[in-house]
Amino acid sequence: MSKNRNVGIIGCGMSKFSSHREEVNQPEMIFEAVEEALADAGITMDDVECIVHGNMELFEMVHQPDMWHALGTGTRGKSGVRLTTGGTTGATLACAADNLVASGLHDVVMAVGFEKLQEGHTTGGISNMADPLWGRKLQAGALTGTTALQMIDKFGEERAKACAMKHRVIMDEHAALNEKAHRCFNLERSFITEMMDASPQLVGELRMIHMCSQSDGACVVIFASEAKVEEWKKKAAWVHDHETVHREESIIFTEEKTTHRVSAERIYARNGITNPREEIDVFEMYDPSSWWGLHWLGEFLLLDGDEHLQMVENDEICINGKFPVNPSGGVVASNPIGATALVRVAEAAMQVRGTAGKHQVPKPVHKALASGFGGTMWSTLMLLSDEKLNLEEAS
Amino acid sequence: MAHDNKYAYTIEGKMALPYQYFAGATSSKFIVALRDEKKILAVQGKQSGLTYVPPRQVCDRTFEHLEDNWVEVKDTGVVTNFTVIRYEEPYQPMKPPFVIALIKLDGADTPIAHLVSCDDVGDVAIGMRVKAVFAEEAVNTILEIQHFVAE
Amino acid sequence: MSEANTEQELIVSRQILSINQTFSTGPVMGRFLIELRDNKRIMALRCSANGRYLLPPREVDAMSVTEGDEWIEVGPGGTLREYDVVYYASPDPLTGETRDVPYVIGWVNLDGVEGIAPLWHLVEADDISKIKTGARVEAIFAEKRSGTMEDIKHFKLIEEEA
Repeated sequence: MSKNRNVGIIGCGMSKFSSHREEVNQPEMIFEAVEEALADAGITMDDVECIVHGNMELFEMVHQPDMWHALGTGTRGKSGVRLTTGGTTGATLACAADNLVASGLHDVVMAVGFEKLQEGHTTGGISNMADPLWGRKLQAGALTGTTALQMIDKFGEERAKACAMKHRVIMDEHAALNEKAHRCFNLERSFITEMMDASPQLVGELRMIHMCSQSDGACVVIFASEAKVEEWKKKAAWVHDHETVHREESIIFTEEKTTHRVSAERIYARNGITNPREEIDVFEMYDPSSWWGLHWLGEFLLLDGDEHLQMVENDEICINGKFPVNPSGGVVASNPIGATALVRVAEAAMQVRGTAGKHQVPKPVHKALASGFGGTMWSTLMLLSDEKLNLEEAS
Repeated sequence: MAHDNKYAYTIEGKMALPYQYFAGATSSKFIVALRDEKKILAVQGKQSGLTYVPPRQVCDRTFEHLEDNWVEVKDTGVVTNFTVIRYEEPYQPMKPPFVIALIKLDGADTPIAHLVSCDDVGDVAIGMRVKAVFAEEAVNTILEIQHFVAE
Repeated sequence: MSEANTEQELIVSRQILSINQTFSTGPVMGRFLIELRDNKRIMALRCSANGRYLLPPREVDAMSVTEGDEWIEVGPGGTLREYDVVYYASPDPLTGETRDVPYVIGWVNLDGVEGIAPLWHLVEADDISKIKTGARVEAIFAEKRSGTMEDIKHFKLIEEEA
């Protein structure tokens, strides 16, 4: 790995996430996040050189939204790039913004992710990702019960189901601490079985309660060069590395490693991380459902047995636990898809910068990890730190 | 191995999805005033001094909020540019040939795109004065102004 | 930023966006579909570089990044590797019409496939609770076939003798 120069995140902003944002149109909702990020960074739009914009057109049925959104993003007269990579869009925006600054092309880049899912049909839109000649008729959006089926087979029905629900309840407890979260139900740990049984089945054992929300919302993250961070004397979350792993299939049945595991192996190897559970202080994971959140915890931490189930059972992933996961409430609490993976980066940066407020983890955060998921089992990871990279050593 | 193109053919398909669009508070106020009061509302930037029609929440030049600084503009204006549509598509608002023009309303700084109705499309010219004709039935879109005609 | 006035009428426009499309099969998917239509045969494309079977076939195997080069007849019987019972009614993106639920999607590893290359299709059974991982299924072909995925109506569960 080599990076031309250090890149720091100096500002994050989010709109309120909700399924009722009838009072704002798309650029207006984006502007809420832009305004908050600029204020957080203590800079103005004049300081921003380039805007990296992303969402998925089929969710709102607006072609070239970046042009229309110039009213909210402030991209008028500036450099601009539009990216769309499915659920990973937000993560790709962060990777691109990091690359644009690291390359020396720009000093200050603003990543803007947004979605207004209430304006379209989310499941119908996602189904259009599949091959029109074969899979499109079969794809049920992003809904699948296959992970639940596999976990039930592997760990037993009672334990697997209880663990997925425990994960769901922990995320709900975290969402209660995050004023931006779309959904917080105040779920109670003592009623886990009853809550699950009462929740409608979507696909197999994936029930409504396990699944993420469909949210409207925008997220903005400002990336700056080391020179700018020092000139402006900002507290930065430094971008150490990012990794993206793709596959061609939408669901993978071979015994090969998942894209999550491959991306984690690569990023840990490059950054000298041998024990991620000890060396990473907080993990913001793109968890579209509690089944996936539970399964993927094991994949991202390179676990082989049932340790990831134990981490949920013994509260290790709670905000005050040893390895906090999604103190924000995660994706099951809020999912404006084009913004969602950028929200993970923003939340991880807020933890490093100590600006997460009520959901700040109660311990020092030196290293934070953020993941993105989407497309055909694509996985993206970004590693943030409170310390700059030693570029000479790294190269 | 080269694959044999004799096997290639096409299959008809369709993409059909429901969607909805929220105009937001600022645009809604504009549409409701057109519909209920036959008034054309604009917003004005205090820093830029510009009057925007249709109204918008934020000035993309100064980044100042505009949504609380409403003014009314006239229902008359001048054509600043136009084009004649001569091909036919099922979703068009008028039967071709018809004119879409940029019209700077009296009191506004930004032009609005709209239809100009006329007997002969050859009569439309840049600099032509036009006046809004309001729709008789509510449509809840910019077509609350049905079209413009020569003043 | 001013607070939204909750008394205010907010305009919403609701529509169904419908666009006609024409999809090209290309020579590989075209051959696969023509075999279904004319011969009721399921043909897998095998990539000799790594032995991977592609189903439905694709021009290039993404793992070895070489062309699939060997057509092999597989099925019509197979083993259910994974399945989803769908209870959530979503629109068929090709028609916009909402589908009846529940329906079952299965990933079938067809007889004759070496390794794992499940084909994706609907699975039907008199009693869907009998659909399990590892169950035997068989492709049921449509009477009228037009060279589309619907030339296979579905895979039918083969119930074991009690």
